[in-house]
Amino acid sequence: MTQSLQSSDVFVASLDAARFQDLETAGATALVREKRKAAFEAYRALPMPTVRDEEWRRTDPDQFRIADFQWLPVLPKRSAPAGEHAFDASFDVVVSVTEDGYHIADRAGLLAAGTIVVADLETAARDHGALVSAHVQGPALIEGERKFTALNGAFWNFGLFIHVPRKVEVPNGILVRYQLGCKGSLLVPKLVVVAGEGSSAKVVEMFESGDDKPVMCIGVRELYVEQAARLQVFALQEWGRSSFHIGEDWSRVGRDAQIDWVTLTLGSQASKMTMGCDVSAPNSNAYLSGLFFADRDQHVDQRTLQQHTAPNTYSNLLYKGAVKDKGHSVYQGIIGASPGAIKVDAYQMNNNLVLNTGAKADSLPGLKIDADDLKCSHGSTMGNLDPDQMFYLKSRGLSDVEARRMLVLAFFEEVITKVPYAFLQERVREDVNQKI
Amino acid sequence: MPNLETDSKLVTDEYKYGFETLIQSDTLPKGLNEDTIRAISAKKNEPQWMTDWRLKAFRRWQKMKEPKWADVTYPPIDYQDICYYSAPKRDGANAAAIDEEMARTFERLGVPLHERNGLAGVAVDAVFDSVSVATTQKEKLAELGVIFCSITEAIQQHPDLVQKYLSTVVPVGDNFFAALNSAVFTDGSFVYVPKGLRCPMELSTYFRINAENTGQFERTLIIADEGSYVSYIEGCTAPSRDRNQLHAAVVELIALEGAEIKYSTVQNWYTGDDEGRGGIYNFVTKRGHCRGRKSKISWTQVEVGSAITWKYPSVILEGDHSVGEFYSVAFTNKKMQADTGTKMIHVGANTRSTIVSKGISAGHSRNSYRGLVQILPSAANARNHTQCDSMLIGSTCSANTYPVIECENESAITEHEATTSKISEEQMFYIMSRGIDEESATSLVVNGFCRDVFKELPMEFSVEAVKLLEIKLEHSVG
Repeated sequence: MTQSLQSSDVFVASLDAARFQDLETAGATALVREKRKAAFEAYRALPMPTVRDEEWRRTDPDQFRIADFQWLPVLPKRSAPAGEHAFDASFDVVVSVTEDGYHIADRAGLLAAGTIVVADLETAARDHGALVSAHVQGPALIEGERKFTALNGAFWNFGLFIHVPRKVEVPNGILVRYQLGCKGSLLVPKLVVVAGEGSSAKVVEMFESGDDKPVMCIGVRELYVEQAARLQVFALQEWGRSSFHIGEDWSRVGRDAQIDWVTLTLGSQASKMTMGCDVSAPNSNAYLSGLFFADRDQHVDQRTLQQHTAPNTYSNLLYKGAVKDKGHSVYQGIIGASPGAIKVDAYQMNNNLVLNTGAKADSLPGLKIDADDLKCSHGSTMGNLDPDQMFYLKSRGLSDVEARRMLVLAFFEEVITKVPYAFLQERVREDVNQKI
Repeated sequence: MPNLETDSKLVTDEYKYGFETLIQSDTLPKGLNEDTIRAISAKKNEPQWMTDWRLKAFRRWQKMKEPKWADVTYPPIDYQDICYYSAPKRDGANAAAIDEEMARTFERLGVPLHERNGLAGVAVDAVFDSVSVATTQKEKLAELGVIFCSITEAIQQHPDLVQKYLSTVVPVGDNFFAALNSAVFTDGSFVYVPKGLRCPMELSTYFRINAENTGQFERTLIIADEGSYVSYIEGCTAPSRDRNQLHAAVVELIALEGAEIKYSTVQNWYTGDDEGRGGIYNFVTKRGHCRGRKSKISWTQVEVGSAITWKYPSVILEGDHSVGEFYSVAFTNKKMQADTGTKMIHVGANTRSTIVSKGISAGHSRNSYRGLVQILPSAANARNHTQCDSMLIGSTCSANTYPVIECENESAITEHEATTSKISEEQMFYIMSRGIDEESATSLVVNGFCRDVFKELPMEFSVEAVKLLEIKLEHSVG
């Protein structure tokens, strides 16, 4: 039985029924087992995406050679943090994750005081069962059943649950740092954030690995912003150049709430990401921003979904990308308005810089509107740096490279300044600089 | 005896072209196989190479699958349940009466076949079901060296031109419906404009589907030789029937160096009734090829008919400095579905394209814009500007926009902008406060919304389009 299933193409690499059985029997909490089981059933039922699927037409799923990577067993808790950084001091809580395990540093004593919850999923399921039950694989997954979302649900090897209770503010934010150092690691992280009514929080995620140590990451985030809450999420993807990233991230914004979600994609050989946002109740606001830069032979595919499922909702999206050398970027975006979602104001903007012939940028902005009384629009541009601006800078004595660098940074500055951490801003500018 | 009266019970206020001409037809039995194709070819006295070409296309088609990616839904089409050839029967004694009846039909459609009545500046080719019944102004055009005739006639009389250009823009196996068309196409227009000539009159084809259960497979080929100019107009109507009919056309335009082709369409096929019964399936492949330097192809379309429209008039900009344009108004009402847009493929250097698309959805309709702007690495300094706006009238319709922009050249610039919104309350209020009723006010606003496209149409056509949209908008308010 297991034999025949293994030989079919429903299972990704070694993530099969036998592996799942081991995982399931090892799992401690009934709730976690249940969640994994449901996801596994969906995972088994769904076909592997192929280039013939519209969404994957421009990013061949075969280039993600998952079979070449070794799934890490569920990460254990470590007593000491891995690789401390100076910028850790800017945060209230620092979660560091490596192949050896994870460590949660409670720098401001918020966890000890029970003000907020930052815990691995297993612990959270034990201590906060109702919350985990309602939000893990919960209503934020607006796009039905998806292979990699289901895969993550069944085989996550690091799950983190963050709950910011009602009216609580986390002034300096939470940092989740992934640092992989071993060749061939397959990390399947799951992050669930629940920002309770009227709360306010910032979450930063950073992904790092060495250029010569290929790793693979298949991540899923679920972000819940409840009534009148404000959640800011920043993700800086700096995987090494030989690595791969698949991300399927979902958020749901409640009444009078706001999400600010910035995705900065600079690393990895190939990445395929989906950012879906359900703008789900009157006066909910979603601000989505992105920055991506593909140079040499990098491939970046980003797909966004602004789904307005309630009237009187607002969303604004800005994704800026550059391609250089033989880099290829794909931006696919949809603004959706469900029937009855009137008085919606939605905007989507995608700007692309094509820095040399040989690089390629694809832009597919889209509108799917099933309601009438609303205002939805999108814009998309492609082009190189403005020759007049180049001329101006060079006439002031800047070299060609300096002028280009300045203009490319200026192009990205609008997105970079949306990140309220100076060290992160500097780091992104540095990354962009190195690519030019 | 053929009954020469026209049946008027199919006509409604809204669709005054819904009548049926009751004449005897020479019709092939339903069904599609190699014999059908040989029979069509024989009926048209085609040379052997043409029959072989059709058969090759048919064999290719049999291996293809019907595409499903468009944003339209319809019950499966039974290709064996369609009649592929129907022509008015001209048997000796009745010939004169038939011709008279044809003339009356086209007169009623507003298309004069008698040259004395015709608009001085327009030459018309009239296609009734599967055959071209008349082409006017032929002699006058021939004097100038312009060839304007039905494609059937062109295959017989200008085989060299047809063989040289046919299917060089839309290959036989390009897509499912193009392959089907290549196998069974029955008639359409052929235009050749010689070097350096600015064609002094508008060339026009009027397509009419009359017979029941008949598919119309139009094939049009227009060639503008070096430095020439031609403006071509196409109009379409069909009787109101409660069964769906298929219109699968292939149109190929070829512009050589310095040539310009302007192609305008007012498509007013029967849309089906309020419950979505009947109407034409308009599955069309239209493509232009700017082959030479500084050539230009401009598509203008006003799509107000058909139960389902599925078409993407495209331009391949191969010659350096060539220009492609696409201006479109697509109006959907009732249960109509339209998935339309364009493709601009920039191959040559300094090529430019402009896309202006206006979609208006009302009733329970679906209206989608789907477009591709592709800048290949060779297209240095290519430029594209795209503007697509959608207007929604009523809360049960939907409007979608799916553009694709691909850029592989550093010096190219593309801009794309799209908006979707309701008809402006402020504008409506302003107009109505001047004492104009809601329906007229809507019509005014919609006309303003479409103005960028209407102004690209030839003059008489533009007036017609405005009127047509007004009629179509009736009863869609409130």
